[in-house]
Formats: sequence, C-alpha cells, structure tokens
Amino acid sequence: MSLLDQESRSAPPTKESSRRPSRWASRPWVRDALFAVAALVVAFLAILPGRDGAGPSISLMQLVASMAAMTVAAVGLNLLMGYAKLVSLGQGGFYAIGAYATAWLVLDGGWPPLLAIAGALALCGAVGAVVAVASMQLRGPQFSVITLVLAILVERILNEGAPFGRLAGYPNHAQHGTTALPPIEILGSTLEPPMIANTVATVMVPVVVVTALVVIASRNIARSPWGSSLSAIGESEMLASHLGVDVFRRKISVFVLASVFGGLGGVITTLSFAHLQPETFDIFLTITIVLAVVFGGSGTVLGPLVGAVGIVWLEQSDILAQLGDLQQEYISPQWYLSTPGLVGVLFVLTLFLMPRGIVGTLGGLVVGRRQRAEVAEDDGAGLQGTAGLPAEADAVSDAAVDGHSPAGRTGEPLLVMSGVGKNFGGLKAVADMDLTVDRGEIHAVIGPNGAGKSTLANLLTGVYRPSSGTVRFAGRAITALAPHKVARAGVARTFQTPQLFHDATVLDNVLAGFPDTGRTPLWAAALKPPSRYRRDAEMRAEAERLLHLVGLTEFAGLRAGELPYGKQRALEIARALASQPELVVLDEPAAGLLATETAGLGDLLISLRTHGYALIVVEHHMDLVARIADQVTCMDQGRLLSRGTPQQVLSDEAVVSAYLGKPMEEHP
Amino acid sequence: MDALVLGLVLGGLYALLAQSFVLTFITTKTLNFAVGEFVALGAFVVLAVAGWSWLPDVAKVAVGVLVAAVVGAAAYRFLVLPFMTEGEHDVRWLLSTVALSFVMLNLITNVEGPSPQRSETARLSGAVDVLGAGVSKQQLLIAALAVVVTVLLVVASKKTSAGLVMRAVSQDPETTSLMGVSPRLVGMVTYAVAMGIAALTGTLYAATVGASPVMGAPLLVASIAVAVVGGLSSLWGPLLGGALYGVLSEVTSYEFGAIWGETAGLLLVIVVLVWRPQGLLGRRTEVKL
Repeated sequence: MSLLDQESRSAPPTKESSRRPSRWASRPWVRDALFAVAALVVAFLAILPGRDGAGPSISLMQLVASMAAMTVAAVGLNLLMGYAKLVSLGQGGFYAIGAYATAWLVLDGGWPPLLAIAGALALCGAVGAVVAVASMQLRGPQFSVITLVLAILVERILNEGAPFGRLAGYPNHAQHGTTALPPIEILGSTLEPPMIANTVATVMVPVVVVTALVVIASRNIARSPWGSSLSAIGESEMLASHLGVDVFRRKISVFVLASVFGGLGGVITTLSFAHLQPETFDIFLTITIVLAVVFGGSGTVLGPLVGAVGIVWLEQSDILAQLGDLQQEYISPQWYLSTPGLVGVLFVLTLFLMPRGIVGTLGGLVVGRRQRAEVAEDDGAGLQGTAGLPAEADAVSDAAVDGHSPAGRTGEPLLVMSGVGKNFGGLKAVADMDLTVDRGEIHAVIGPNGAGKSTLANLLTGVYRPSSGTVRFAGRAITALAPHKVARAGVARTFQTPQLFHDATVLDNVLAGFPDTGRTPLWAAALKPPSRYRRDAEMRAEAERLLHLVGLTEFAGLRAGELPYGKQRALEIARALASQPELVVLDEPAAGLLATETAGLGDLLISLRTHGYALIVVEHHMDLVARIADQVTCMDQGRLLSRGTPQQVLSDEAVVSAYLGKPMEEHP
Repeated sequence: MDALVLGLVLGGLYALLAQSFVLTFITTKTLNFAVGEFVALGAFVVLAVAGWSWLPDVAKVAVGVLVAAVVGAAAYRFLVLPFMTEGEHDVRWLLSTVALSFVMLNLITNVEGPSPQRSETARLSGAVDVLGAGVSKQQLLIAALAVVVTVLLVVASKKTSAGLVMRAVSQDPETTSLMGVSPRLVGMVTYAVAMGIAALTGTLYAATVGASPVMGAPLLVASIAVAVVGGLSSLWGPLLGGALYGVLSEVTSYEFGAIWGETAGLLLVIVVLVWRPQGLLGRRTEVKL
C-alpha cells in the first residue's frame, strides 16, 4: 500500500452525512432511470390526444411531429455546438438529406422501410464524415462557412434536381402518380401519418419513442467521459490532446453523430408528413435549428428539447403573425416585421438577455446549488470508498516505487531524450539536447527567458516534432508521436497558464483528467452499461483522493474559475495525476504564486516524488529548484549550459552569467 | 472561350463583394453574414433617391454607400462587438449577424415587396466584344471596379496611417489599444467601408438584374466562397479567388448545366480549405501555447 491511501484515510471525517437526503435517490443509476422513465412518460403524454385519431387532433399531432423532428436535429447539433464549440450551420442540410433519402429509397428505390431509413442515416453519416474530414483543420468562422456551404449545396440540388420537383414537391403526380408516400409497414404494423381524420396516426408512437431515446442517449453521452472530451475540445484542442484525446478522430465522430441525428430529424419529417417541399429545406431551416439550440440553452441536456419545442410552437402558432398584424395596425402598414424577421429579433434578444438559453439561465442557479450539495454528500461516500482504491493507481505507484515495471528491469531510465533539436525556420530553438529522468526523481530545467525550456517541454509532450534526435519513454520510442499518444504512454503535463474548464466544478476538472476521456467508446457512453457506473464510482473516489492530495477537498464543488490562482495550479496538477502518469511535466508551476503557496507546491512535488512519480519542472524560482530538485539542467539559447545537483548548477559561473550577464571586464 | 471571359467578369462581381468579407475579417476576425442584405439596402436606397434629378448619378450611388456604411458601423457596434468578447472561440457574432440578415431581409421585403424593380441609376447600356465574347458594359464596369477597389485598398493599407492602424489592430488589438488606438473605432470604420463596398456592388448589380430583397443571397454565397478560396486574410485574395471561382463555375455550367456550375464552385471551396485552410493567398497564424 502506498502512502497516498494512508493520507486519505486520515482525512477529516465527513461533515455532510447527517443532512444527506435518502441515499436511494442519490444513486446515479436511479437518477438515470428516473430521467428515462420521465422522458418516455412525457413522450406518451404528448401523443395522448391523438389516440383515437379524431379530426381535431391531427394538427396537434403534426405539431408534435415537427417538434420531435426539430428536437432530434437540435440534440445532434448541441453535441457539436454546445459541447465541442463547433458552430455548424449545416444541420439543415443533413435534415434534408435524411428526409429525401428515406423517401427516395422507399419510393424510387423500392427498399424495405427500415432498410431505407438505415440507408438514409448511413448516407448522412457518410456525407458528415466527408465534410468533417474536410473541415477538421478549421475553427470558428471558417468551419461555419464550410458547413453553410454544404447546407446551401444540398438545398440547391433539391430545388433544382429534376427528381425532386421544385413546385410539386416530392413525391408528385407527374412523376410518381401520387402526392403522398404510402404509409410504411414495419414489423407487420402500418405506420399511418397524422393526415386523415379517424385514422389513428400510428407513426407517432415510434416518433416520440425515438425522440425520447435520442434525448436519453445524448444525456448519457454529455455526462460521460466522451462528453468531457467534447468539452475539452471546445475549451482548447491542445488541452484535449494532452488529456489523451485523439482530437481529429473525436471531432469526426461527433460531427458524424450530429449529422446522423440531423438526418433522423429528416426521417421523422418524411414519416410524419409523407410529402416533402424542397423550399422548406432552406437556409431558414438550418438557422432555426441553431436558434433552437441557443434559445433552449446550448451545452445543456434539455436545452435543445426546450428550444425546439418553443421555436416550433412560436413559428406555427398565430402569435408571431398577430405580432406582425399589430405592427401593421399601429406602426406602419409597410414598416413591420413578420415571422422571419421576428425570429431574427428573438435570436438577438436571446443572445443579449439569455446567452445561456432558457435551460441554462433557469437551471444555472438550481444546478449549481444542487451540485454543491451533491459533492458535499459524496465527499463522505468517496472517502469511505478509498479503502478499496482503484487497482490501476496502486499498480502505477507501486511499480514505480519498487521498480517492477518492464523498463525498470532493463535498467533503462524512464525518460531518455538524446540529441533532440528543433528548428523554427532558421532559428534553432533547441539544439542537441540530452535529458534523462528516472522514477522518483525531480529534474528541474532552468534558464533565462528564450532559452528553449518550454520548447523542450513541447518536444517531449508531442506538441512539436523534433527536427532531430530521439525520445524514449518507459522503454519505447515516443519520438514525434502526437500529444494524445504521448499522454496515453504515461506523460502528463501542466501549462504555463493553467488551462482549466472554468465553468465546470473542481471535481469535474479532475474527472476530465482520467484516461477514460480519451478512451471511452461512443456506444458505451450512449448506452451507459453497468460497468460505466462502476467505473464512474471508482473515478470519483480516485478524484477525491487526488483533490485531498493537493489540498482541494473542500473546494470540490466550486467552479474552477472561482478558485484563486494558486489553487488553480494545484487543480491542474491533480488533473494531470488523474491520468495515472509515470512522468509529469510542469511548465513553470510556481509562476504567479505567493511565497506560502510556493512552499506548499514544493511540499506537494516532494510528496509526489515519494510516490514514485518522475517530475520535470520547468522553473524560474531558484529557491524552489534548490529545495526540491535532484538534478538541474540549465539551458541557454537552446543548448545545455550546465547540469548537476542544484548546488553545482546554481554556483556554476556560466549559469550565473547567463542569468545576470557577464561582468564588464570579461566582455571582449 | 466565351465561358472563360464571362467567368472572369462574373468573378469580378464576386471579388468586389468578397472584399467586404476580407476587410472585416482582417481587422476584426469577424464576418458579416448579413452582407447580402446590405447589397439590397444599397440598391434600394439608390432607387429611393433615383428621382432626385438635381443629383448626379455618382452622388446618388454615394448616398446609398453612405447609408449602408452608417448602418454597417452601427451593426458592428451593437451586434458584433458585444458578441466577440470571449476570445477567438466566441462566434456568437456569427449568429447575431445571421439574425440581422433575417430582420433586414424581412423588413426590406415588407417595405418594397418581393419582386425585382428596375434600376436605371449608374447604368451603362450596351455590350462590348471581349475576345469574341459579348460582355455587357455594366458587368465590365463592376469587374474593373473590383480591380480598382482592390488596388486602392492595398495601397491604403500599405501607405496611409489609417492602413497602418488597421494592420496593427489585425495583428494585436490589445497592444494597439495600449498605443492609444481604439480597436472598437477601427472596427466600426472597417465595417462602414466594407458595407459601403457591399452597397456599391448592390447598386451596380441592381442595374443589371433589378433591385430585389433577395438579390444579395446568391451573391453572398458566391462571394464568401471567393473570399475563402482567395484567403480571408489577404486583400489580393478576392481577385484570385474570384477569377478561379468565376471561371470554374461558368465553364462547368456551360458544359454540364447551371446547377453543376454552382456545385463545382462550392466543391472548389472544400478542396481549397482541405489543402490550404488559410486560403490560397492567406497567411497561416500559428497557434501559440
């Protein structure tokens, strides 16, 4: 047993356990089950008025169908836009592809309905993958432009492509001899759309069930490590890759997923309305989906649902039309805004007054308070649970201490950089550097500004490809590996300015550091099998242990942005440790810290060494370096200037003159 | 050959409008998705003053440009600036300009009606023969103007103090503001100039197809494409992008039909973005850790 466990066992006793509500309701799987049941109940309540197919209920069922389609598309866009912060204006394009491909495959292709739907969704996924690969290097406006280009392209093809019939729509009398798709049959039951009085609109059942399932799945995804990886990408792609996320592939996955959800919205439209008009799939549609997400609350679970229901209701009710009439009556018969203009005004007002949307704004306070209470509760649970620490964590530290790992047996040091160099154009930022670090060792890298220290850290962690030289870690070559692969190999890092998720809680920040963020497969995130619950509990316990280690236990429920600067640094170290690294690279950890904080940092780093971690500390703070470092490397102008124990290096004349300048008489 | 010449001329039209995207992108890193409506705004303002016979045509156009410039500056101040405060990943301005586009389009449609209206201001009638292809004088004027405006902008950005300030703001707004320059003011001026160019394009274009609320929509798509192909950070980009996009789409629609022309043009955007995300003449900005 390592010392860490003893520390956490001797932690202060639980305080909140007395006013904990029933433990039953606080169990994650119970909450998830309640949510799922509630979602399905709401879904069935929505279609209850249409159960006998009475004439007046038809328009209501059509409204519900429109809302369902918009919800599914918005849920998909929310994953992309709300979490990964990739604002796509192309969702309407996928919606249109899903709608038309289903209809076309059934009617012209003669495919069985289920196969046609699957085919349409696969097509959306494929188009999404192509667009994703094409746009993955782009961010911000360029990404939005390319997705907008896609939506416009799809609209043009639908409007002008001969099979789809501009004015007549699809299907149409001239080409198909009918203006409505025949009701499809699935598993022996006919799915009637809400069109004919006294015919029960049976299609509504699968429509609302699928919608509920999509909402449930997206909630699972958003709250899984897969969802954390999206937030990490949204925060900073560089950060995400250092957390072990293959950013390129993850971005493609989420775009494809969003595209498929967009297509599913279109499928629902086709099944519910049996007729498609090309001009309804215009730019207004794609913007409405974006508006639904923003209006409801982007980056929230229920936001897209609330936004989609609200927007569809607004657009189809008389309210906006009446507003237009009012303006005509009281302001001017000409200078007034009708529905599209009013939607634009609503959009701007939402951005101004409710930047976090309805759900984000209303839920903000409540959720914040509840999370705090929850965290406080689980403090107790977590500490009790630390007796059975995750096996991996023990394995890492024990192996490191005892030298049982394979690399340890061969006698090769943990990290060996040899002859590493990096040129930027003509500038040699780093030239021919060697660096060796072993387990349980703190290696400080010092040097004046511009000496190449940070570049060296970036070469090690995969941000830059070395121009020359090799890097070996734990017995294998990691030269020029991408950052996420270096991270997965067991190298974690912190940054010069702490890169945290400022709006997430301290605990969630640590949770994002676990290897699961990069490794959880999408299906497991969406379905949330029992193993996920077990792993979540393990991760929570481990995260709380790490927070205790860095002295942040009492802040677990705070937003990371509310922490003082010194504590943010500690949090970043805790997150780095969550990935169960063997080597941690700390880039100027003491920068901006108070003297007392620096002393605490020194204690922390020394205790990490005791646990067998290898540390590389890029630092300017000489007192700290002298206190903690086993080895010191001093760099100047990209080269090795001096190396040895802190006493040797800090008294080296070359080092002194590099920092303070040479005495006058030595100048030529 | 005909298609080639017509494509180049058409590319000139797109390039002129693309300049307004490039201008706002260089200084503020934002794009105004309502540019299409500023095109229509310019055309309709000029239409409204067309009856003032005491005013020469050039002055009428200037009125249209001025109105669009003022509205453009206001749009930046009230709809772009508040929505770009949270760093480079903050693209709420994109949504607010789209919303502005909805509002302006709706308002113009309600006031002026959806059908195109004939515009005679600043109209050159007749056609000239260019390498065997008949090109209307008006289109040639627009293309020539694209070149003139580009050269003027390049010269202004290199030789004048205003240009220096603009380039400084584009490189580092924070440091520039420490030097006593207001990036907000620079942004407003840039938006004014950019929307003025959009209105100019609209006026001249309306003389060929008539003024209508939706006249800007097809131009918007094509000119965004042109700006992206040429490189959003390069003042020369629109001319190159316009030539490529215009010729490609014109030749393709000549061979395969109109719909494929546009498709080919938009596919060009995708190809360029994959190959050179910063555009053909754009400069790549390094991400610093």
